[in-house]
Amino acid sequence: MFKKIDLRNKTALITGAGKGLGKASAIALAEAGAKVIIISRTLSDLTKVEKLIKKTKGSCLKFECDVTNLDQFKDILKKIKRLDILVNNAGNNRPEHFTKVKKENMEYLVELNMKAAFNVAQMCSQKMVELKSRKKIGGSIINMSSQLGRVGAPIRSVYNMTKFGLEGLTRGMALELGKYNIRVNTVCPTFVETPMVKAFFKNKKFKQQVLESIPLGRVAQENDVSTAVAFLAANSSNSITGTSFMVDGGWTAK
Amino acid sequence: MAKFLKDINLKGKVAIVTGATKGIGRSTAMAMHQVGASIIAIGRNINELASLKKKLKIRIQCIECDLNDYEKISREINKIKRIDILVNNAGTNLPEPFLKVKKSSLEILLDINTKAAFNMAKLCTDKMLKLKSRKKIGGSIIHTSSMFGLVAGPNRSVYSMTKFGIEGLTKGMAVDLAKFNIRVNSVCPTFVATPRAKKYLANKQFNKYALSNIPLGRIATESDVATAITYLSSDASSMITGSSIIIDGGWTAK
Repeated sequence: MFKKIDLRNKTALITGAGKGLGKASAIALAEAGAKVIIISRTLSDLTKVEKLIKKTKGSCLKFECDVTNLDQFKDILKKIKRLDILVNNAGNNRPEHFTKVKKENMEYLVELNMKAAFNVAQMCSQKMVELKSRKKIGGSIINMSSQLGRVGAPIRSVYNMTKFGLEGLTRGMALELGKYNIRVNTVCPTFVETPMVKAFFKNKKFKQQVLESIPLGRVAQENDVSTAVAFLAANSSNSITGTSFMVDGGWTAK
Repeated sequence: MAKFLKDINLKGKVAIVTGATKGIGRSTAMAMHQVGASIIAIGRNINELASLKKKLKIRIQCIECDLNDYEKISREINKIKRIDILVNNAGTNLPEPFLKVKKSSLEILLDINTKAAFNMAKLCTDKMLKLKSRKKIGGSIIHTSSMFGLVAGPNRSVYSMTKFGIEGLTKGMAVDLAKFNIRVNSVCPTFVATPRAKKYLANKQFNKYALSNIPLGRIATESDVATAITYLSSDASSMITGSSIIIDGGWTAK
């Protein structure tokens, strides 16, 4: 009756897999038995992640690629036989007050968080539906969103725009890919102890404000998010599509 | 190395499941038992409770009680030594067009879906807080809500009123109980192959209405819902509170 998180015989591709949530998700999926394909701009990061995955006796392929480079990503997909799971994770943030957002920062974030996310999702979906038995075995796409895909926050207007956008994309994709039995969901974490957030937290006042906004009184750990990703990737979540897993300690419940 | 895939494990936890004799409640009791929880099953029908006990082949505590009987349920909860998890599941539906809703139906649904659910949540929370180490070990409450806690459907005005209410209660409780490390979430299933829904779905027109509204093209299974509840009840979801896991095959993504 309980469906274990089991990804044996599944192949998963994870973008932004060199650090933080992408890295954590890649290792979690490998721990659940998936063959993982890890993608990042930084080869040295991938090599480290590959080592950790091999330690769990998982199987791993790595590709150095900037996901904003469509052709490069397309070439990688050509080298892959089969794809069952996508963790569409690559993304970034450049916090600035709305009145002071630099044009190049806005363009960078739209390019990466939206356009590249869309293109990666589209190309991977095309790959997924190539498999004749797709409808029977299903597929799963997890878009890495944020609690800021659901609520606003200071100096996050561009990030908000991109992540709200991803929430919309997720619902649209879920409707159209349902007939192929490909499920599409997001994970919306609060602040997570990643290298990116640790840097923000050097500002003590900011850290205090964040903790006061999380009813559980703590930030999320990487494995809180990677476990949610694995749950959504597996058949454990067989009837879940077009939704968002809030991993936010209650931030958006207020 | 810390594991990135958290184990869904309820060893040493005591879980109360209401409405445990049939459908989602029964499957959840079985799923939680499978991952190690001690189960206290509450239902109105002693024969059905006995059959659950037999099926599980373990010592589970069964309490025959109508949750509308506040005095009795409060006595019963008082007798229990310890509670870590509540699956607040008992509820029902009496579909009628808004203009024809009988006063008696309205009262039945408000009594069981809203008032009894609130009382049960409060009685169990009081009990959870008796444990000195609660803040350290945490607690989890899961309300069985519905996709009709998020959107409306024909002949379901009263049901939606009660389930939207449960969604509100979930968020309110999550904010108030976070400081005790008690998490509160809901699951929002679409139509599930339960004895009750099977009756509805036997009507061809209704069946068509249901399936044509679910992008995945299938209704949910009891084990889909039981698995999500089990995940929410375990420490694998320790940063998830005040949220809803929507198990609706994409119904509300439209």
